[in-house]
Amino acid sequence: MPVYKLHYFNLRGRAELARLIMSQAGVEFEDVRFERTEWPALKATMPFGQVPVLEVDGQMLAQSNTISRYLARKHDLAGKDEWEQALADMYADNINDLMTGMRPAFLEKDADKQKELYEKFMTETVGTHVAFIEKQLEKNGTGHLVGKELTWADLAYYGFFSFLVEKFGEEFLKDASHLKSLIALVEDLPNIKKWVESRPKTEI
Amino acid sequence: MPGYKLYYFNVRGRGELSRLILHCAGVPFEDFRFEGKDWPAIKPNMPFGQVPVLEIDGNKMLAQSHTVARYLARQHGLAGQNDWEQSQADMYVDCIYDMHGTMRTPTWETDPVKQKELFDKVNEETIQPHLEKVEQHIIKNGSGHLVGQGLTWADIAYYAFFTTPIMTRLGGEVFTKAPHLKKLIELVGSNPNIKKALSSCPAPNTKLINGHCSTE
Repeated sequence: MPVYKLHYFNLRGRAELARLIMSQAGVEFEDVRFERTEWPALKATMPFGQVPVLEVDGQMLAQSNTISRYLARKHDLAGKDEWEQALADMYADNINDLMTGMRPAFLEKDADKQKELYEKFMTETVGTHVAFIEKQLEKNGTGHLVGKELTWADLAYYGFFSFLVEKFGEEFLKDASHLKSLIALVEDLPNIKKWVESRPKTEI
Repeated sequence: MPGYKLYYFNVRGRGELSRLILHCAGVPFEDFRFEGKDWPAIKPNMPFGQVPVLEIDGNKMLAQSHTVARYLARQHGLAGQNDWEQSQADMYVDCIYDMHGTMRTPTWETDPVKQKELFDKVNEETIQPHLEKVEQHIIKNGSGHLVGQGLTWADIAYYAFFTTPIMTRLGGEVFTKAPHLKKLIELVGSNPNIKKALSSCPAPNTKLINGHCSTE
């Protein structure tokens, strides 16, 4: 088994999916977390001056989705053939876009403007996307996003949507029974439960 | 050979990488381009109401620009020689995806003075620091390519990003500190299949204007 070392801030953020994948796969990893004050000194050591970075036996891999995809493929969570793997990639890219779409609201300093931006994000961006996902889940018919089994796509949706529920409540999922079921399914996986209970508690 | 139909607007944007991969690999495909006014009718048929979308054999649809490009690269030998190389290529293309995002604001700015200002800001804050790292990686890799010994879709992604109309117009100084990357981009540009693709317009009702297909 290779030695995995994941470098990131002390946040869930863009590293949590990789942590969920490794936890679900039952793979050991060193969960290196640093504070913002330590970052300037570490930045120059990262391949593109950014994190997360996965160190695999001393070699560095950057970019959160690349890291997650690499781990998913290595540990049977990527999909059973190339087509399923592509579908899983597609869903992970959707989550990536949603995370990026949330940034302007997240970074807004004015409290009133921030509230407005979050509301717009949740109704327009997330609401629209949830409607599409419900259709896809219904069409696939297995409870999973891709194929018949758990893939990192399911973990990606769990990671981001459980965070949204935490922050905004469940109301926005009232017409999304399939997505709600998927989130509950992942939440109940023993390895995920164990990780969520033991991980450092962070705001994001 | 599966039947590929690539749905995207009649621009380069986020569809161009997949087109270039297919051209480079010599794989025929239907380059289905549409104008803004046609989009409302097409949108509901797309899996997530967005494009580009790759339709395969008339019945399977794949969304998300980089997922489509990665799938095509893997199917047609342009993804890297092993898991690690494939991940390295993924990593570089993710960097390009991020930079695409930062270039959106300058690209859509209509005032030329403001546009140059916005472009210079993105260049200074994002592109130059990135290129500094990429130069080091290319030198370390030693083959002239970003990943491994040969052409991958990572090289093509950098070519596509650095040859957009705005980059061509305003990015004259962009490679001042990145001669290896400049050389790589020129190498990709000189690939016979890419040269051939850029010298003609496969899509109906389009013609070549300033190096890319348009319906004007």
